[in-house]
Amino acid sequence: MTPDSAVTPPGGAGPGPTPGIAGQMTGKPDGEWLRVHPASPFIRGWVALAAIGFFFGRDSFERLLQGRPLMDDMYTGRVPFLLAGGGLILLLAVLGFITTWYFTRYQVAEGYVRVNTGFLFKQQRQARLDRVQAIDIVQPLLARIFGLAELKFEVADAGESAVRLAYLRIDDARQLRATILARAAGLVPDPGQPEAALPEAPEYAVLSLPPSRLVGSLLLSEQSFFLALGAAASVVLSAVTESRQIYFYLIPAVLGMAAAYWGSFNKGYNFTAAISPDGIRLRYGLLDTQAQTLPPGRIQAVKVTQPPLWRIFGWYRMQVNVAGYGGPGSNGEGASRTMLLPVGGLADVMRMLSLVLPDPGTPDPARVFTAGLTGMAPAGLPPAGLSPAGPSQHGVISEEAPDGGFLTSPRRVRLLAPLGWRRNGFTATDTALLIRSGRLWRELVVVPHQRTQSMALHQGPLARRFRVADLVLHTTAGPVSPRVIQAGLDEARDLFDAQAARAREARKRQTSEQWLTQVAPATVVEPVETKDPDKLDHRHTPDHAQNHQEGPHHG
Amino acid sequence: MPTEAIDPPGISWLRVSPKYVTVRLVEWAFGNLIAVAVLSLPLVFRLAGWWEWVPLWLAITVPAVTLLLAVWRLLLIPRQVRAIGYAERDDDLLIRSGIFFQRTLVVPYGRMQYVDIGVGPVERGLGLCTLKLHTASAGTNAEIPGLPADEGARLREQLSARGAARLAGL
Repeated sequence: MTPDSAVTPPGGAGPGPTPGIAGQMTGKPDGEWLRVHPASPFIRGWVALAAIGFFFGRDSFERLLQGRPLMDDMYTGRVPFLLAGGGLILLLAVLGFITTWYFTRYQVAEGYVRVNTGFLFKQQRQARLDRVQAIDIVQPLLARIFGLAELKFEVADAGESAVRLAYLRIDDARQLRATILARAAGLVPDPGQPEAALPEAPEYAVLSLPPSRLVGSLLLSEQSFFLALGAAASVVLSAVTESRQIYFYLIPAVLGMAAAYWGSFNKGYNFTAAISPDGIRLRYGLLDTQAQTLPPGRIQAVKVTQPPLWRIFGWYRMQVNVAGYGGPGSNGEGASRTMLLPVGGLADVMRMLSLVLPDPGTPDPARVFTAGLTGMAPAGLPPAGLSPAGPSQHGVISEEAPDGGFLTSPRRVRLLAPLGWRRNGFTATDTALLIRSGRLWRELVVVPHQRTQSMALHQGPLARRFRVADLVLHTTAGPVSPRVIQAGLDEARDLFDAQAARAREARKRQTSEQWLTQVAPATVVEPVETKDPDKLDHRHTPDHAQNHQEGPHHG
Repeated sequence: MPTEAIDPPGISWLRVSPKYVTVRLVEWAFGNLIAVAVLSLPLVFRLAGWWEWVPLWLAITVPAVTLLLAVWRLLLIPRQVRAIGYAERDDDLLIRSGIFFQRTLVVPYGRMQYVDIGVGPVERGLGLCTLKLHTASAGTNAEIPGLPADEGARLREQLSARGAARLAGL
């Protein structure tokens, strides 16, 4: 068997032909330059190889099927040349693969992960371990068959992954992930035993998504609604025009929809969430599987949405902004990577929120978050700004504040937003700003104060007529774009000042990127101490019971 | 219509150089005059008798409306420039702009990743520069145009120093 990794001297500049040392899979010493699995270029380039094979082989194969000689008569004399030419192309491709593989090496040392690539044009990328935003282990179907996996290491850089190692053996990938996460967390390797493999952090399952609910959520999703609408329209159209032609033109649309459904199903299948000291672990996928690790405090913003039809079953969807994941448009996989929960009930949402925001910053999180998800300001209330029960400057929600302490748009904007004015609102806990909006498409956005980048107040001419303003919070690229819609001008100004102060305070509290050495990590590490997974969300269990009681009143 | 500023009261704004109006005028001329000229071509062709199919009212209305809008924008420029302001507070920088569509932006020093200074050809002639702040968010569109060059340099040094002192992670 080929040794998994040919070893070169630590920090060695030249790719010296040092003999490979087998059996060093575990416990690689620090600073060693390693190579990815030799089969990886073929797994990445199988499409190219298949294309070459198809190009050269198709004609002969067809002739074989038709029982004719393998080659056209005019070519028979040149068979050796043709074979030699084809072989040469194949050889060049394979040689190219091997060269790229040979000159791609990676190293984890001194707080950095480095990757060297290139033969003629050398490139070295390095990323600071304590700036890690997320680590993903991705297994496309072919790699999964061979037991290989790709490791993606995201630092704060929108769009492109900082470091991609494709492919490693799955055990090595897990080991490397554990090493990187441990270093990033601030664990110093034992000087006595630098070769000892760092154990993977223990994890506790939080929730898993049954396939039936996934299918149900897809059937009731927005795209199904528009599909039904389109189908009805085409039936009417064909009846009116009395032609069947229209169905023919619908075929590509139907194929596209089927592909979209399949994609969602494939990505959402077997979705499980777990918590470990290294952060939130998400796993999902039917054919291609993916395992994401989001270290504590790396989530910049969370969005909980509920399409109208999901209200029947009380389902929600959760999406997150993570620096490095980028927006859904930046690459094809963005949409699934930013999905924190494809579909889940209120209890699931609360549980995930408690992972994202270990310290909700309010004594009664269930009431506040439920009000954010389903609540609405009472219609008869005087303008919310005058209500003494609104959130104070310091963001402390008084116990008896109605509607979870949410401060909604003033009554005067009911002409601008006839449906949403009682719903659009915000509230602040000690640790996060909650923004809710939408009466039909319900939405709740949670932005931790520590993660606020910058903010802006916006006001157009129409909004000025109604003395309202929008507050936009800027966060990293992603599906969540927090915006307080049509808050009263005075409330918006107060929020602008108060939020700037809160973000300042929160920044002061956060001192280190290494989460084990942080000042207040107690809440994150808490689940580790409870060995029983059921006790993990002990703190929130009463909340769930309460949610079910409170839900109807708010809905 | 009374225009009430949306920014919090009690802030003394520093204004950008009045010379920035010239920069905006040049930009305006490039954009709008060319548009008006191109849109006037059908009218010219029509009057010259080359194009018969263009309705005369359309050939007149389109460039006229464009010209009207352009003049409207031209008249707004001095007020827009006067509306741009910035204020350095202890922990953050405030930037405001706009009259009809107002915007007030706050960028904490600890969130700034880097500070750019850009100088265009017209700005260089007038000794102005544009300061741009970058945070981890692409949504932060923090630009202070029309700063005198020495004020821009001072602000950049000041912001960099304060940013380094208060630097926070993401």
